[in-house]
Formats: sequence, structure tokens, C-alpha cells
Amino acid sequence: MIGAASVPEVTDHPAVQVDDLVVGYGSTPVLSGVRLLVPSGAGVCVTGENGIGKSTLLRCVAGLQRPDDGEIRVFGGRAGSTPDFWRAVVTTVEPPTWYPGLTAREHAELVCRAHGQDPSAAGIDDALDQFGLAGHRDAIPASLSSGQKQRLTLALALLRPSSLLILDEPEQRLDRDGRALVADLLAEYLKTGGSILMASHDDAFASSSGTEITTMESLS
Amino acid sequence: MTTVAVAPLRRWIRRAQVAHLERGERFGTFYFVILFVLVVGSMFWNRLHALVWPADPDTSALAGAALITVVAGGLYLALGRLGPLAISRPAASWLLTAPISRRRLLWPSFATTTAFAALTSAVATLALLGRAGPRPVPVTLVLTGALVGVGVLLVTVAAQSGGRWAVLLDAVVSLLLAAGLAGLVVDAAVGAPRLSGWPPAATLVTATGAFALVAGLFFVLAVRGLTRTPDDRILDASRTAGTLADSAFGVEPSWVADMVERRYWTHRKLRSAALNSRLPVLAAQDLRLALRRPRRLLWLLLASALPALLTHAPVWLLGPAVLVGTLLAAGTTAGNTRTDAANPVLLRMLALNSRRAITQRLLIPAVLAAAWGALALTWLELLVALPPGPWWALGLALGPVGAIAAVRRARVGFVNNALLPIDTPMGSISTGPALASVIGYDALLLGLPAIVLIATGTPLTWLGVATQLAFGLLGGRAYLAGTTDPERVELAKPT
Repeated sequence: MIGAASVPEVTDHPAVQVDDLVVGYGSTPVLSGVRLLVPSGAGVCVTGENGIGKSTLLRCVAGLQRPDDGEIRVFGGRAGSTPDFWRAVVTTVEPPTWYPGLTAREHAELVCRAHGQDPSAAGIDDALDQFGLAGHRDAIPASLSSGQKQRLTLALALLRPSSLLILDEPEQRLDRDGRALVADLLAEYLKTGGSILMASHDDAFASSSGTEITTMESLS
Repeated sequence: MTTVAVAPLRRWIRRAQVAHLERGERFGTFYFVILFVLVVGSMFWNRLHALVWPADPDTSALAGAALITVVAGGLYLALGRLGPLAISRPAASWLLTAPISRRRLLWPSFATTTAFAALTSAVATLALLGRAGPRPVPVTLVLTGALVGVGVLLVTVAAQSGGRWAVLLDAVVSLLLAAGLAGLVVDAAVGAPRLSGWPPAATLVTATGAFALVAGLFFVLAVRGLTRTPDDRILDASRTAGTLADSAFGVEPSWVADMVERRYWTHRKLRSAALNSRLPVLAAQDLRLALRRPRRLLWLLLASALPALLTHAPVWLLGPAVLVGTLLAAGTTAGNTRTDAANPVLLRMLALNSRRAITQRLLIPAVLAAAWGALALTWLELLVALPPGPWWALGLALGPVGAIAAVRRARVGFVNNALLPIDTPMGSISTGPALASVIGYDALLLGLPAIVLIATGTPLTWLGVATQLAFGLLGGRAYLAGTTDPERVELAKPT
């Protein structure tokens, strides 16, 4: 079912634990002494003005950027590039480069099959329908609009099993109906035991998705 | 609507552009180009002369006709891919949208491509006459060759503005090109007779004159019709020219590969279908990609006969030619691996480890390379009369080699321009582009047993086939062990 978390193993560890994180670009410090806790099964939405370091924080938690100092734990382990990590974690922090010659629906089928899901039982068509992509299932994703690409990325992220979603402004480029739909799906994801860490500029969206809102300033 | 004259505008842009150049900089560039042509020309003059104008013509009439078809077809397809009418990207942004005469805007491009087509065709005709024509060669034929080039250009210009007929013409020219290549292969196999003489000079002069008249007429019509060139075609061509220029200046060929791939799929209408459930998931994806490129598969099928063209070349060249062919065949699905290598976001979404991913990515390329190798060596056995033996099986054994080479090439990523250049007596060589250009091809060394087996000219044994297969499989195992990790998702090692 789309929007349902699949926790591979029960863990006593928090989903995300960040201690004294320090990141800088050259001589410009972006994050300094950041602490963050996302309990397992909970959702946290980080808000703050542009350039304050929300995306940098998410990238570090996803293991896509090496911090200068501090410690990051995801389900008690180190964030990294291992297959186990990426089986538990899905992120939309970076936009994908789509495979050539593969339609939107086939991308979804590829993701499901890679995770051992039966494509027909995984609800691919329902997911594309929900995200307003039913009429674009035969389209090459690269030819979709930026909003449609965002919907497809979120559909793929929610179709496959995972325990933690790391989302960077998932409401971006979505219309009002799209935002409401994604918020509902994220709330459903939390109810089924998944954890969420996201950054957003939209407090209403964050609230309706069931995440606890926290500001970047409060993390230092 | 008021039309603004484009010439003063261009002059002003040129003046503004050159204003920041140092005095004499353009002359310096001009001097360098002239010096480069003279130095390289003097180095290769003798070889070039022997290639274009041998002491005795040694090419048959059939090969001559086939070469004319190949050159004309190749020129048409190349000009068509480039536009042929293009303007720079800044001009596309600022001048295409301005109220200026479209004809005057496109005229410089039209004139340049016309000169290019005429010159290329004239040189090709000269080379063709030198190799296939009985001496003395009538000079009027070189002029006819240049006019054929102009004719080809005029057709591509019309096709740039044209509709569905242009697509059909593209297919017909592709067929002609294939026929030309087939003619070359047949000539290599049977040794067709040579041309015995030319028609009378008066007939040739009259024919060339008539041809010039027709070409001139269509040239004028084409110039008048420049205004009808659709904006989207001009924009497409200017993007192509821009990407080629970026790729050349940045020494980054992957930009061109990306552009070609993107453009190919933009114009395709696809229908979703279930991926083959019996294959590993990434192999099923590769199979889908390969089946969606039927024209490329057809070209590969036809190209499997091309190594037979090397009948008169040194025998050691046959093996490498077959191996390069296996790489090109295996590269049919390289776009998927290239995507993963450039941006591992989807690999992370799939959560497959890099070893499993690359193992699966090798499967379909290996099948394509094996099939191509088997076909190519069967053709060689039939046409060049290789010594007896299971050559088809040796071709199949080359499958893993072609696959490793193609996947390695697809993973090359961006050129590392930070590497130090090497100074040689011939000048400085950029290490990054030089290394990037050989990555992938270097893995073809795993086909060394096949090169030796073909070059020795002795009957092929099953032991030879088994040796080649062992080289390929062990090479594949070493490649996986050395470049992938079961504990890493990304294809590239972390820096």
C-alpha cells in the first residue's frame, strides 16, 4: 500500500540522532553545534529561512555530505552508502537523473521489483493515479514538468518499503491538491511506524503531515 | 512590421566582442592555425598522397560506386544531424526573437555549410578518382563531385524545414548507406572489375554544366526559402552546435553523448509494458532499452560484416576490429550504466549494492557482444576464408570482453581536467582527456587470445575458444572485485 512504512527490523534506537554537528563551506560556517533527535516512528519538520542550513542538515543525515565535526546516527548506525542503509532510508534531497528509454510507470515497476515487491500488488497504477500521473504513465520522466517530476519522485519514494523518509521541501512545485495528498500520505506513513525528517517552508503542510515542527535556530 | 538590418547589428556585436581582445591576438590565432596545418600537413603529406593518389588505381568500379553512396549518405546524415542551418546560442536567444530578416540571419550559416559541403565532396571525389579512376582523370569530375555535395546540402536544408517526407528520406538515405557498405563488403569478398575508361570529355563537360545549372537554380530557390525555416529547428540546431562547442572546449565528450541520448528519446512515443520477470531486474531494464532501439540493432547486424573490409589490411588488425565491434554492440544499453555512474540517486532508491548492480548490468551487453562477435567472425570465415575451426564459438567467447569494455566505458564519468599535462616533443598532451578516451577500450586487451588466434592464421581449436572464454570470465571477475563493493551502493569509490 502506498504511504505505508515497512520497518525491516524493530529497533530501540532513535530514527535520527545528531549531536554537535558542524558544517561549513570554506570559511563560512553553516551549521554549528546542531543537535537533533527524531524518535523511531515520529516525524520532525525543520523550518527556517533560505540558506540557514536545512538542506545541508538533511544531506548530512542521508550520508550525502561529510560534516566537519559531530556525530550522526540513523537507527543507531552510521549514515552511509551501504545497501542496508538505503533499504531503510529514502531521500529526495537530490533530484534523480531518469533512466533513458524507460517510462514513468516502468520506473515505478523497476523500484518495486528491486525491493522484491510484486509490481501488480504494490499498487503502482493507484499510486500514479493518486499523484495525478495516470495520464503520464507512458511518458519519459525527463519530458515531464518540474511539478510532475516532483510527484513521480515522491510516488517512487512512497511505493517502495522504507523506515525513514528524508524529504527536502516535498511540497515544493506542488499545487494545493498535491500538497494535501502528500501530507495525507506522510501522515499515513507515520501511522504505520515510519519516521520522517523533512525540511519545509509550509507550516500548514508540516502540521497536516503529522510531523513536529522545529526551527533550525532551536537546534543549535 | 519594421525589419531591422542584421549586418550592422552583427558588426556591432563583433566589435563589442573583440574589444576586450589584446592587439594582435586574432593574428596570433591565425598564425597558429596556419602553422599547425603546415606542420601536420608536412608530417603526413606522403601518406596522404599515397592514400588519395596511389601510383596505380587499385579500387574496383563496385567499390567506387559503393564509396560514393557511403560518402554522400554520410554527408547527408551528418549535415542533417547538425542542422544544417544553425546560429550561435546567443544569436538564437537575442537575434531570432528580434524583428530582423530571417534570410539575412541564416545566410552566413548557409554560405559556410555550402562551402563546407562543396569542399568535402570535392576532396572525397579527388580521393575516389585517384583510387578508382583510370588515368588521366577528367578534372570536370571533381567539379561534379563538389556540385553533388552542394546538392546534398540543399536537400538537407529543405529537410530541415520539411515535414514527414524528411523522416522518410532519412530512412531511405540510411538504407542507401547500408547498401553502400554492403557493396564494399561484397567487393572485398569477390574482387569486382575495375573501371575501364571515361565517357568523352565533351559529354562530361555538358553533363557537369547541366548539373551546375540545376544546382544553381535550386541554390537560389533555397536562399529565397530560408525565411520558411521553422524557429524550433533553428533552435535545435543552435543547441547542437553549442553543445558540440562546449564539448570541444571543455574536452568533455559525455555532453554530446547525453545530448544524443536525450534527443533520441524525446521524439519517441513509448508504451509501458511489464519488465521481464525471469531476468534480474536491471538486466530486464537493459533488455527493454535494447529492444526499444531496433534501428541500432539492425545497424549492428549489418555492421557485423564490416571487419571483412580489412581483407587487404594487415591480418593483426582483424582481431582488434572485431573487439571494438563487440564494445559498440555491448554499448547499446550503456545509457543505463552512464546514468547510474553520473548520478546514483536512482541506484540509492533501488538499494542494490554496486556489485550486484554491475553484475546485472553486464548480462545484456554480454549477450549483444557475443552475438555480434559470433556474426562478425562467421562473416570473416565466409568472406576472408579464415582457417577451419569454430570461429562462431570464439565470437561468443568474446561476449564478456565486450560487456566489460562497454560497462567500463559507460562508467568513465566526467573527464578529469585537473591532471597535469605531459610535455612531449610534439607539444603538450592533456592527461585527463587522453586517459578518458582509452578507458573501456583498454579492457579489450582481455581479448588478446582472440587477436593472437586470428592473427596466427592457424586452424582454431576448442582449446583456443576455452582460453578466450577463461580470459573473459576471469577478467569479469577481477573487474567486479576491483571496481565494485557489496557494501557500497554507488558505483564510484568514495573520495
